[in-house]
Amino acid sequence: MDSMPERLNELAMARRVVAELAPGQVVGLGPVLPARVAEVLPDEASVQLLSEGGVLGYGAAAEDDGSAGSWVLDARGEPGVLRPGAAVLSTADWAALLRGRHLDVAVIEPARVSAKGDFIGWTAAATPGIFAPGTAVDLAAGAKRVIAMLSHTGKDGSPNIVNELSPVADGRSCIDLIITDIAVIRVVADGLALTEVAPGWTYDDVAALTDAPLSCSGDLKEISPSLDALDSERPGKVYPDGPSAIADMPDGATVMIDGFGGPGGMAHYLLVSLREQGTRGLTIISNTIGIARIVNFGTPAGKLAIDHSLLVENGQVAKAIATYPVSPSASRPSTFELAYRRGEVELELVPQGTLAERLRAGGAGIYAFYTPTGVGTLIAEGKETRTIDGKEYVLELGLKADYCLIRGHKADTMGNVVYKGTSRNFNAVMAPSASITVVEVDEIVEPGDLDPELVVTPGVYVDRIVKRPEGFSPYE
Amino acid sequence: MAQGKVYSSPDAALSDVVDGSVVLVSGFAGAGIPRRLLTALADGGASGLTVVYCHGPDDRTVNGRGISELVAKGRVKKLISPMPFSPGFGGVIEDSWRADNLEIEAVPQGILVERLRAGGAGIGGVFLPTAAGSRYEMGRDKRTFAQGDAVLELPIRADYALVEVEAADTLGNAVYKATRRNWAPTMAMAARVTVAEAGRIVEPGDLDPEAVISPGIFVNRIVSAS
Repeated sequence: MDSMPERLNELAMARRVVAELAPGQVVGLGPVLPARVAEVLPDEASVQLLSEGGVLGYGAAAEDDGSAGSWVLDARGEPGVLRPGAAVLSTADWAALLRGRHLDVAVIEPARVSAKGDFIGWTAAATPGIFAPGTAVDLAAGAKRVIAMLSHTGKDGSPNIVNELSPVADGRSCIDLIITDIAVIRVVADGLALTEVAPGWTYDDVAALTDAPLSCSGDLKEISPSLDALDSERPGKVYPDGPSAIADMPDGATVMIDGFGGPGGMAHYLLVSLREQGTRGLTIISNTIGIARIVNFGTPAGKLAIDHSLLVENGQVAKAIATYPVSPSASRPSTFELAYRRGEVELELVPQGTLAERLRAGGAGIYAFYTPTGVGTLIAEGKETRTIDGKEYVLELGLKADYCLIRGHKADTMGNVVYKGTSRNFNAVMAPSASITVVEVDEIVEPGDLDPELVVTPGVYVDRIVKRPEGFSPYE
Repeated sequence: MAQGKVYSSPDAALSDVVDGSVVLVSGFAGAGIPRRLLTALADGGASGLTVVYCHGPDDRTVNGRGISELVAKGRVKKLISPMPFSPGFGGVIEDSWRADNLEIEAVPQGILVERLRAGGAGIGGVFLPTAAGSRYEMGRDKRTFAQGDAVLELPIRADYALVEVEAADTLGNAVYKATRRNWAPTMAMAARVTVAEAGRIVEPGDLDPEAVISPGIFVNRIVSAS
């Protein structure tokens, strides 16, 4: 051991991690070693860091910065600062973001990693009889890509990279890349592939300290991270107009549309854009499926409210999943009602609270949940029921969609959104639940212009931003 | 006139805590810990408590007080936490557990907070993918959905939540500051009685309704942090 070349220090390892990141990514840093990545990430880097303390978009505090940093803690409990475009999250928000697979990269420091990409947070030897999962389990289970950052060997010199972790692991097949103080190792289909070594180290040196087979194809590179990629700008989210923001929506798409009853809080401009585009066979998930056009809700004389009815009238809707599909007046049926009676559209009826919860579940990575709502009614028909703790519940599934059209008040160019009054309604639970979320806002501002405490929908959930044209009317 | 939500002291706000209560305590690392309430709980008479918390490794941020003090005074029967202590730095918590005087349930942070949210939102249980395939399955109900395997996680409902807030109005509407928000909004929903330790107590109308994170319906009692 004494004759071995020097190992990388923690900051050099952190720089190697940074070289794996790409502009626009959202990156979660666990304790202890991974939190140091924030220290080497350039201020202007176009990635956003997630702290398990509850902030998206933090950075390392300058060393002499005591006061400002004390409100923002990283995964170690060390002070950080809010970067422009940050959003404050509760722990529940943090968990939903992870489990819903919205995090691009997680960096964790496991005690051991196996050749299958399994990991364990604390070894049984360190904590006999007890587990201390912390946040590593959540980070590893939730992120699209997981980097393990750890010392290659334990304090006693024993290998931390082993062939198998048996019988217990904190996560199975979840580690994609291993960065240690002497090597970079990829977890591939048939085991571990050594791709880089610390300066002065050889394949044999690393293999001798690894308790798993290491393949090595081609040239073994020396670890020398380049941070150049992060200098480029993050992909833009602002679209010039409504039609361009939904131009790729295919026939048969599932689309969430926000709004509650009347014309407030609905993406009217995007709805008109979708009518113009004529996309057909849509499944619409929404509170109503167009009653504002029938029920007056203060619509000026001689005008009609813009709502889902536009799409129904235009023959674009195949199915609705909704709470209020019909008009409250039998003598003035909604467009959807008439189409339903003609057998042209399908309908799945969902109580409003269940709809909101199913939407939240979809975005938060909750596959299903038991709710008391609807037990003993038609709503529960054909669904599993279960008695838990003496109370009966019905099992409901999370809802996801291809697109989500929401209405915000202001968004910054990173996609952070604030709402106004009751127009917030379904927006917050819908935005995380679709593959492509498009927000229509009154005003687009720069990162840093919105108070991070007031952001309701963090930019990680918003893919496209469109400004509602000046003077655009919700009536036509 | 009916008793308002503002209490004169932490002792007064916690005077009805009985033996065996389930108590939630907000905070992450050093941030957002209701210190005065924790001291009052330790000084009070209730024991056999089940305490759900996530302060971070070893409670060191509250100078040996806080959860450690509760345990040292024999108030606690069981702790539920993502990180009850750091190996080797567990102090009285680790010692009590090793001496079989304390039960510990370790739950990954994201699962624990979702169980609290389920408790607060009236959900009977949630199927989460997080623990599937890991040792945190703990033999619980697992099934396969279209997205993959998920484990049934059951709700946690509590008798009391002790939370720190930046400001509360006298109706209980509360706002937080930066990472001190952490567990508090979820815990406030999950308890029968939520007691907020507020940096400022203000009048209704003083807080921007768009900025309120915990609506007053979730906050039953308010004490001043100073």
